[in-house]
Amino acid sequence: MNFVERLLGKRSSAETAKQRLQLVLVHDRAEIPPGVLALIKDDIVAVISQRVNIDREQVVVSVTHEDQASRLVVDIPLLSGSDGRAPGRSLNNAPRSSRRTPSASS
Amino acid sequence: MEEKVITVTSGKGGVGKTTTTANVGAALALLGRKVVVLDGDIGLRNLDIVMGLENRIVYDVVDYVEGRCRLRQALIRDKRASELYLLPTAQTRDKTAIAPEQMVQVCDELRKEFDYIIIDSPAGIERGFQNAVAPADRVLVVTNPEVSSVRDADRVIGLVESYGKGPVQLIINRLVAARVRRQEMLSTQDIIDVLSTEIIGIVPEDEAILASSNRGTPVVFNGKSPAAIAYRDIARRLIGENVPLAQPQTTSWWQRLLGRTE
Repeated sequence: MNFVERLLGKRSSAETAKQRLQLVLVHDRAEIPPGVLALIKDDIVAVISQRVNIDREQVVVSVTHEDQASRLVVDIPLLSGSDGRAPGRSLNNAPRSSRRTPSASS
Repeated sequence: MEEKVITVTSGKGGVGKTTTTANVGAALALLGRKVVVLDGDIGLRNLDIVMGLENRIVYDVVDYVEGRCRLRQALIRDKRASELYLLPTAQTRDKTAIAPEQMVQVCDELRKEFDYIIIDSPAGIERGFQNAVAPADRVLVVTNPEVSSVRDADRVIGLVESYGKGPVQLIINRLVAARVRRQEMLSTQDIIDVLSTEIIGIVPEDEAILASSNRGTPVVFNGKSPAAIAYRDIARRLIGENVPLAQPQTTSWWQRLLGRTE
């Protein structure tokens, strides 16, 4: 990596190698191919958004690996009522569900 | 338990298992230990040629397992050290010629006579690898500072641990300090961060290695090449000496300008 590349803030190939390795090893160790996580994410988004209003773009599904144990971590940001829509508003699009789970909007 | 049987493995091929086995085995013998190096790569044997003993093979470990010779007849003495022996494997058979239990039996026989039995594992994670790991008291995983090799090392470390043979120790082979400094090669710390495994040696890239395999003379026998020093250090750590891990030295442009080396 030369001086100019560093000056331009370009990431070194060693750094890229390390990050790629860390990512791929998480999947290797958990025995879950990265593409499967994308499918899991789609499924979760579909199920959760039937009942609560979530920020679909910000949902993160990842696998972590600590001390021999793998963990599937799902981070789903809820859309608050800040834009004038309460989390429960979307339930109006699914009337049958909302009637079965009135507590979801409270 | 005394750790006599040491298996050298890697997952990926071509990272330096055979060179490591030959040099660590020879270095242990030069430290006065009675050592046998055992080729675990049935069908693709190479430990013999790397050690320069290929012309002396009459019997091999498969002949012994199948009852065609006594163990002593298959052992080849390397006269460059006082007590160094090679137990070659068969070249015209496949990995299924020996079962893991038979490898354990062979090593149990060798344990009676030797201080150390160093097994050169084949690449891969199939039968040959399982044969090589089955009798191990200690497993050394060789990796290069390169993504495919590190990834395979991680897989192998997981397998070795699942066989109850952990914790493994890592040898980083063919490190080029100048390229690490330019951040175009994974550093020792990068590899530790990724694999969370103890390091037992760092072997720098060294032109002397090719010349040594050309000649069939492991580098530890003659010379002070950087790799020879690194292999001797590994042998000393294996016998329990406290040898600090030396980071391969590098020189920066201004040090070269001043004619200074660290």
